[in-house]
Amino acid sequence: MLLRTSLRSFFAHKGRMALSLIAVVLSVAFVSGTLVFSNTATSTFSKLFAATASDISVQPPKPADDEEPQAGDKPATVPAPLAQQVASVPGVKTAIGQVMVGNAILVNPATNKLVGPTSGAPTLVGNWTDTPRNPVKITSGHVPQNSGELVLDADTAKKAGLGIGDKVRVDNATGQHPYTIAGIATFTTTNPGAALAFLDTATAQQVLLGEQAYTSVEAFGDGSRSNDRLKADTLAELGSRYQVKTAAEQKADNTKAIGSGLDFMKYAMLGFAGISLIVGGFLIINTFSMLVAQRTREIGLLRAIGGSRRQVNGSVLVEALILGVLGSTLGVAVGLGVAVGLIKLMNAIGMDLKASDLEVGPDVFVAGYAVGILITVVAAWIPARRASRIAPMAALRDHGTPAEARSNLVRTVLGVLLTGGGAGLLVLAGTADRAGTGGQLLGLGLLLTLIGFVVLGPLLATVVIKVLGALLPALFGPSGKLAQRNAMRNPRRTGATAAALMIGLALVIGSSVFSSSAVSSASVQIDRSVGVDYIISGGQAPVTAEMMDAVKRTPGIDHVTTQENLLRTKVQLPGGQNARTDLTAVPASFFGSDFHPTVSSGAMDSIGRGSLGIGETFAEDHGLKVGDRVTVDYGKGRTQTLPVGVVFQKGGLLGDGSFVGLDALAQVVPAAEQPPVWTFFAKAAPGADVGRTLTALQEALQQYPQLTVKDQAGYKELVQSQVNTLLYLIYGLVGLSITVAVLGVVNTLALSVVERTREIGLLRAIGISRRQLRRMIRLESVVIALFGAVLGTGLGLAWGVTAQRVLRDQGLGTLSVPTTTVVVTLVSSVVIGLVAALVPAFRAGRMNVLAAIATD
Amino acid sequence: MTTAAAVYDPQLPGGPSAVAATARQVTKAYGSGETRVTALDAVDVDIQRGRFTAIMGPSGSGKSTLMHCLAGLDTVSSGRIWIGDTEITGLRDKQLTRLRRDKIGFIFQAFNLLPTLNALENITLPMDIAGRRPDQAWLDQVVETVGLAGRLKHRPTQLSGGQQQRVAVARALAARPEIIFGDEPTGNLDSRAGAEVLTFLRRSVDELGQTMVMVTHDPVAAGYADRVLFLADGVIVDEMHAPTADSVLERMRRFDGKRTS
Ligand SMILES: Nc1ncnc2c1ncn2[C@@H]1O[C@H](COP(=O)(O)OP(=O)(O)OP(=O)(O)O)[C@@H](O)[C@H]1O
Ligand SMILES: [Mg+2]
Repeated sequence: MLLRTSLRSFFAHKGRMALSLIAVVLSVAFVSGTLVFSNTATSTFSKLFAATASDISVQPPKPADDEEPQAGDKPATVPAPLAQQVASVPGVKTAIGQVMVGNAILVNPATNKLVGPTSGAPTLVGNWTDTPRNPVKITSGHVPQNSGELVLDADTAKKAGLGIGDKVRVDNATGQHPYTIAGIATFTTTNPGAALAFLDTATAQQVLLGEQAYTSVEAFGDGSRSNDRLKADTLAELGSRYQVKTAAEQKADNTKAIGSGLDFMKYAMLGFAGISLIVGGFLIINTFSMLVAQRTREIGLLRAIGGSRRQVNGSVLVEALILGVLGSTLGVAVGLGVAVGLIKLMNAIGMDLKASDLEVGPDVFVAGYAVGILITVVAAWIPARRASRIAPMAALRDHGTPAEARSNLVRTVLGVLLTGGGAGLLVLAGTADRAGTGGQLLGLGLLLTLIGFVVLGPLLATVVIKVLGALLPALFGPSGKLAQRNAMRNPRRTGATAAALMIGLALVIGSSVFSSSAVSSASVQIDRSVGVDYIISGGQAPVTAEMMDAVKRTPGIDHVTTQENLLRTKVQLPGGQNARTDLTAVPASFFGSDFHPTVSSGAMDSIGRGSLGIGETFAEDHGLKVGDRVTVDYGKGRTQTLPVGVVFQKGGLLGDGSFVGLDALAQVVPAAEQPPVWTFFAKAAPGADVGRTLTALQEALQQYPQLTVKDQAGYKELVQSQVNTLLYLIYGLVGLSITVAVLGVVNTLALSVVERTREIGLLRAIGISRRQLRRMIRLESVVIALFGAVLGTGLGLAWGVTAQRVLRDQGLGTLSVPTTTVVVTLVSSVVIGLVAALVPAFRAGRMNVLAAIATD
Repeated sequence: MTTAAAVYDPQLPGGPSAVAATARQVTKAYGSGETRVTALDAVDVDIQRGRFTAIMGPSGSGKSTLMHCLAGLDTVSSGRIWIGDTEITGLRDKQLTRLRRDKIGFIFQAFNLLPTLNALENITLPMDIAGRRPDQAWLDQVVETVGLAGRLKHRPTQLSGGQQQRVAVARALAARPEIIFGDEPTGNLDSRAGAEVLTFLRRSVDELGQTMVMVTHDPVAAGYADRVLFLADGVIVDEMHAPTADSVLERMRRFDGKRTS
C-alpha cells in the first residue's frame, strides 16, 4: 500500500524527479567512473608488471635512511661481475645485467625536436637484453649490434615519424651521442606511455653510466625453486649489501609508483564527485521539500485520520529510495562512460590503456549504490521529518509552516555560532605565524563558514533580498515588486537553492584570489629581486657545459650564472642537533647583481666568501643567527663547517632554502660528484636589446630541444600558466557544481510556478501581460541567483584573502583581488538566473487563465 | 458622494451609451461529437451601465461561462461580444489582457488576493501593472467606503474572509473599470459578512455609478441587484427588475416546479 502510493507519487512528479535524478546520476557517475578507471589502470599495469618482472632482481643498495636520493644524481649501479655471481646461485637459469636510465633524452637531429613524451611519462634508455620476459620484441630490423646502433619502440617511432636508418641522438649530462635506428621494437604488453630506446650493452654502459656496471641484475630461475627461496639463496651468496626483490615485490613496487601517479587523477575526480554530491544534495532536499510542501494538506489529512508520523516519513523515504536506486543504477552506467573518457584522456597523453579492458569490480557497485542511495535518502529524510512534525490541523490549514519561530531561533543561533567561529578561525589563520598551523585553521575556518552560511542562508535571504530587491520595484515596476516578494516568500527554499550556487562561486572567487595573488606576488618578487634577464631550464637530462658555453657565446649575453641543488641536505646545528634544508650551491656572483633578495641580517656577499646563507624561517625554527657555525653534511662522510653569513627575509622568491658558495662546495666535493645543473641564468650585456638577445639565445640553443629559455616576462607568463593549470581544474569542478546549481534553480522555479498556479491565474485575470508575468519569474530567478552569487563572492573573498595571508611568507606576499573575475561572476550569476528561468517562465506564460483560476 | 455623481450620469445627453456590455447570439460549446456540451446557446444580453445585474440559475446552467465570456477571460464558439464600444470577440491575447487590465474588474469567490502583497498593494495592483498612478482622492474614498482604512498594511492572511473580499471589491473599484464582474463573490462568506460586501457593492453602484455584474445562487444576494437574469441550460429563460429576496425565491420555486413537471 505504502509502496503503491509512493510509486504513484513518484511517477506523478516525473519532471522534478528527473532533475533530482540528474544530480544523483552525476555524483554516482563520478564516484564509480573514478573507481572503474583506477581499477582498470591498476589491473592493466599489474598485468604488465606480472608479465615482465624477472624472478628476482638484484638492485643497488638502498640509500641509507638519512641519505635522500638526489634528482639527477648518477644512477646507482651494481658492479658488472655481479651478474656471474647471481648466475651461479643454484636454481638460477640465467642472470642478465640490465642498464636502464631515466636521465637521458632522445632528439631527432634532423629537426632538433624531442623524441618521446614531453611531459608525464618518462623516456628510458638502456641496453638491449634477451630476457625471457621482454616487454618488447623486435618487429623490424635487428637488435643493436655495434656502438652506432639503437632500437626504438614502435609507438615512439611512429609518433616522431622515424624509421629504420633514421638518426636519433641520445643527450645526457656527458653530451650528445648520435645513433642510427637499427630496429623497431613493439610492446608485447600494454605500453605504459614511456619511450624506450636500446643500445648494445657496452655502449649503454659507457654512454649512460660511464662505467662497466649495470643498474640491476635480472635473474630467471629454472623452475626448481620458488622465488622466495631464490631470493634467500641470492642474499646468502651476495650478502645483504644489495637489494634483492622477488617478482611479487617488484610488482608491488611498480604498482605503487604508478598508483601515486594516478592518485592525482583519482583525487581530482573524487573532488568532482564530492562537489556534485554536496550540490546534488541541496537539489534533492529542495525537491523533496517542495513535494512535501505540496502535499502538506494531504499529509495533514493522513495524520488527522490517524496516520502515524512513521507512515508519513515512510512514504517519502520510499520515494527517495526509488530515486536513489534508479539514480545509482544510471549513475554506475554513466560512470562506465566516464571511465572510458578518462582512458581516452590517458591515451591522448601517451598512456596506452584499453577501454575494452574495463575492470568493473564489485566495489564499483557497492560504492556507487551506497553513495547514491545514502545521499538521496538522507536528503529526503530532512524535509520528510519536518513534514511529519507538522500538527495535523496546521497542515490542513493550508501552507502552514509551524514551529518556524523556534526552528528559526535555533537556526540563527547555530548559524551565527558557526559563521562567527569560522570567521574567527579565518582571522587566526591569517595572523598565524606558521603556514602549517595557518593552513589547518584555514581549512577548518573554510568548512565552518561554509556550513554557517548554508545554515544562515534562509535568514540572509530575507535580509539580502530585501536590500537587493529594493531596487527591483523601481527598475521593473510591478513585476519587480512581485518577484522580490516571491523570492522572500519561502526563505528556506531560496536559501537552499542559492546555497548550491554559492558553493561553486565561492570556490571560483576564492581560488581566483589565490591564483592572482600568486601570480602578482611572483611578478613583484621577480621585479624586486631578480637581476638576471634569462632563465634557462633543462628537461629530463641535466644542463651540460656545452649548453652554458653556447649561451655565453651568444652576442648580447654578459655572463651566465648557475646553481646546483642539494635537496634535503643534512646540517648539524651549533647545539649538536640535526636539521635538513634544501641547499643550493651558487657562484660568488650569484648574489648581488644577479639576484638581490631582501636580507634580514648579515651580508649577502658573505656567501661568496665561504659563509652560509639561510632563510629567516629556518633561522627562527632553529635559533640560528649570523655568526653561528653550522656543519654541512654532503654525504659520503664529507662535511664542512661554515659560519652563517646572511639570513634572507621570509616571503622572498628563493623560499626558505639555504645557500653555499660553489667554491666552498668544491673544497670538499670533487667536481665530478657535484650535483648537476638543472637551471641556469644569463644576464644581458649593458645596452643589449633584451628581446633580440632572447631570439639569439633561442637560436643558439636550437640543438638542445629540452631547454626552455625565458626572459623575465616569459617567466612571469610561465608562472601564470602553471597557476592557470590548477585554476582550470578548479573551474572544471565549479562548472559542474554550477550546472547542478542551475538545475536546482530551474527546479525551484518550476515548482513555484506550479504552486502558484492560482495566483498566476488571478494576475492574468486582472490584466498582467504574459511579458510582465515572464519577467516576474525571470527576476525572481535572477534575485535567487544573485543572492547566491553575493554570498559566494563574500565567502570566496574571505577564503582567498585568508589563504593569501596564510601563505604571505611562502611566496604569496602580495594580495591581488581579481576584480574582473568578481564582476564576471556576478554578471554571470544574472545570466544563470535568466537561463534557469527560461522554461518555468515560458510555462507560466502559457498557462490557461481560466484553468489556473479553477485549480485548487 | 457628489464627485461620484459627477463622474457618471446616464441621463446626460451625449454621455457614454447606456449599455456597458453586449452579447449577441453567443454560443459556447465544450468538447466535440458525443461529449459536446453546449454551455451557452445563442445568448443575447445587454448589461446596462450604472446598474447592478445579477445572474442566477441552477448549477451547470452556464452562469460562470457567460461571465467569463463577457469579461474576455474565455473565447466564444460563435457570436459577438462588446465591452462598451469595443468588440472583444476576435481580439488577441495581448489586447484582451489590456482590456481586462483597463476596463474590467474582477471579484472571485475566493483567493482574490496575492498573499505576498498587503491590502493596499493588492488594491493598487491593477494600476501598478498598467503603470498608472492611482487617483489618491478616489483611492481614499474607496478605502474608506470599504471600511479598511486601519487594515491597509495587513497581509491577506491577517484578514478575515469578509475583509479579504472587501479588499477584492476595493481593488475592483479602485481602478475605475467600466464594468466589474463577480462570480459568487459572497459564496464563501457567512450571511453577515456577505451582507457587508453586498451593501458595499450596492452603494458603489448607487453612489459611484459603477456597473456591476454578479453571479449568485443566493436569492438574498440577488435581492441587492437592479435586475436578475435567469439562466437554464445555456439559455436566458427569464429576467426580473427591481427584485427582492422573496420575489426571487418565488420565481426560483416556480422555475424549479416547471422544470420538474
Ligand atoms: N472546461 C470545460 N470543459 C468542458 N465542459 C465545461 C467546462 N467548463 C464548463 N463546462 C460545462 O459547461 C456547463 C456550464 O458550466 P458553468 O461553469 O458555466 O456552470 P455554472 O452555471 O457556473 O455552474 P455553478 O453554479 O455550479 O458554478 C456545464 O455543463 C459544465 O459541465
Ligand atoms: Mg459557476
